[in-house]
Amino acid sequence: MFFRIVGESFSRNPLRKWLAAVALVLGMAITTAALTVALDVGDRLAREFRAFGANLVVSPTADTLPLEIGGVDYRPVEEGSYLPEADLGKLKTIFWRHNIIGFSPFLEVPAILERDSSGPAIRTTLTGTWVNHSVAIPDGTIFQTGVLRTHPWWKVEGAWFDDSKQDCVVGAGLAARTGLKPGDTVTLRFARAGLAPLVQPGQTPSEERHVSMHVTGILSTGGTEEQVVMAPLAVVQALTGRTGEFRRLMVSALTRPEDEFSRRDPSTMSKAEYDRWFCAPYISSIALQIRQVLPGADVQVIRQVAEGEGRILTRITALMWLVCIAALLAAGLVVGATAATSVLERHSEIGLMKALGAPMGTVSALFLAEQLVLAFVGGGLGYVAGEGLAYLMGQAVFGVPATGRLILLPVILLLAAAVVLAGSLIPLGRVARLDPAPVLRGE
Amino acid sequence: MGVLVELDRVSKQYGGVRALDQVSFTVEAGEWIAIMGPSGSGKTTLINILGGLDSPSSGRVLVDGRDIGPLSEKDLTRYRAEKVGFVFQQFHLIPYLTAVENVMLAQYFHSMTDEKEARESLARVGLADRAEHLPSQLSGGEQQRVTVARALINHPALILADEPTGNLDEANEELVVNLFRELHGEGHTILLVTHDSGIARLADRRIELAHGRLSQVSVLST
Repeated sequence: MFFRIVGESFSRNPLRKWLAAVALVLGMAITTAALTVALDVGDRLAREFRAFGANLVVSPTADTLPLEIGGVDYRPVEEGSYLPEADLGKLKTIFWRHNIIGFSPFLEVPAILERDSSGPAIRTTLTGTWVNHSVAIPDGTIFQTGVLRTHPWWKVEGAWFDDSKQDCVVGAGLAARTGLKPGDTVTLRFARAGLAPLVQPGQTPSEERHVSMHVTGILSTGGTEEQVVMAPLAVVQALTGRTGEFRRLMVSALTRPEDEFSRRDPSTMSKAEYDRWFCAPYISSIALQIRQVLPGADVQVIRQVAEGEGRILTRITALMWLVCIAALLAAGLVVGATAATSVLERHSEIGLMKALGAPMGTVSALFLAEQLVLAFVGGGLGYVAGEGLAYLMGQAVFGVPATGRLILLPVILLLAAAVVLAGSLIPLGRVARLDPAPVLRGE
Repeated sequence: MGVLVELDRVSKQYGGVRALDQVSFTVEAGEWIAIMGPSGSGKTTLINILGGLDSPSSGRVLVDGRDIGPLSEKDLTRYRAEKVGFVFQQFHLIPYLTAVENVMLAQYFHSMTDEKEARESLARVGLADRAEHLPSQLSGGEQQRVTVARALINHPALILADEPTGNLDEANEELVVNLFRELHGEGHTILLVTHDSGIARLADRRIELAHGRLSQVSVLST
């Protein structure tokens, strides 16, 4: 009897049911799309943000303060501490290893650049790094990384050097001062490790080393790197006697926006809090995990990058939630209006049921069952339409379709049920208050 | 047989209007009572109070020994399902349910549906062959007989009929009245509101109301 009455209600006044169903489908479609994008936007924007560069910088704990003037590090090679290159593969063994999308070690050494023997000598820095290097991971796999991953906005006129050759790129600022261009050869003079500080331009003591490099490109970064010569890390290590070592590591990691919880000092957390913090891809927890696998390393978060990302992500996510709430509210209002009309139209039927001894629970259940059928049909169709919408939105905004999430289906169905229940509260109240006696008298 | 219904100084006040005023009478089990009176005399209010659709402002209403006045809404609902069978002037059938389903509806709210029993109840009122018809496919008399079948289905202690022939033509009125005579003959307790003195004469007693007060009680048959 229950299902007979509920089923029959859909054949009566189908236009109203369709109206409510369409409102639910639209509301749930927008909610599904917004939720899909909101859930996806973190990952997507995090990847997009990574185009703005590394968000973690690793340096030796015992390192001396850098002595930089105009982007040139004047510290002698023998000063400060270094980290072992061999440990870098461990970065891909931490808990959030899949979020480490790239890292680039840097080794800098003061040098004197001479375009040719007759030309002017200019004080600069020779920086060793990786362009696209294969790193062996302890699990036996190989990870490709380098500045192409960590600094994707760096532009090279000409070509990057080959990590296995003795070539270099010259910063655009330095190239402008010296007139260097791709295809030229430069000579760099610098002190060997453990020897006296670098000699002044024009002097050539016997302890000094010379190296000639082929310029493959001119590097534009918009930063201090435009004043340096950049060469393969292995070449700079060999020239400075720092084989297998580096001084600075830039790490690019996908992270979750920072919040109050992530900013707490882990040492003040309970075990459960610490586990939650550790198992979340906060930049601070990833920094800790890197510190754990790189002994003697100090890991600093590049705050302006992390916080900027966090702010944008938070705002976009909030916007998506607002869209969800607005869509749900609109759907709820339509459902509420149609439910109220339904109660008005059926008040004599409801009155009769109550007169015949129908408990309020049974009458409400009949009414709610109709609404829930509507919710599940509307929610299901809305989910399908919403995933399609999310696909298109992802394609339009990020250039990649948003990934459908089946886990959203029960969430959407529950939300649809909540919307119809909320929308039915006032009509249900009217059902509860309905006095059967006047209804039966035709009043 | 014993007293089934006892009203003891029952009053009902709607704002400034006193619909019932100190009404007292008793109904024996198996008795047929005709309630008469002009419009606004309190007949329907009396039926509503006896049917648990309304509560008295004062006085006691005992049905089967139980005072239904202080019952909660939930208990009154249960009382209506178990003790009372309603027959309304305007039939009040669910338009999208067939005759047998309308009868089963009362079963559903009482306990559980039994289609066989519902069909027997329809057969009892002469509608065995109309069980699958919708109310719109039935005549007024047939619709009223469906409501009688629905009223009987849960074996109520009390059948309350509010002008059951008010919307019927003469032929159908006779069919329905005969049905009530048969029910009375089977021992059902019936309180029937009517303006028709011919129908009232068939009852055991006639109770007349005027301005909410009991104006006359007449014993009509033995």
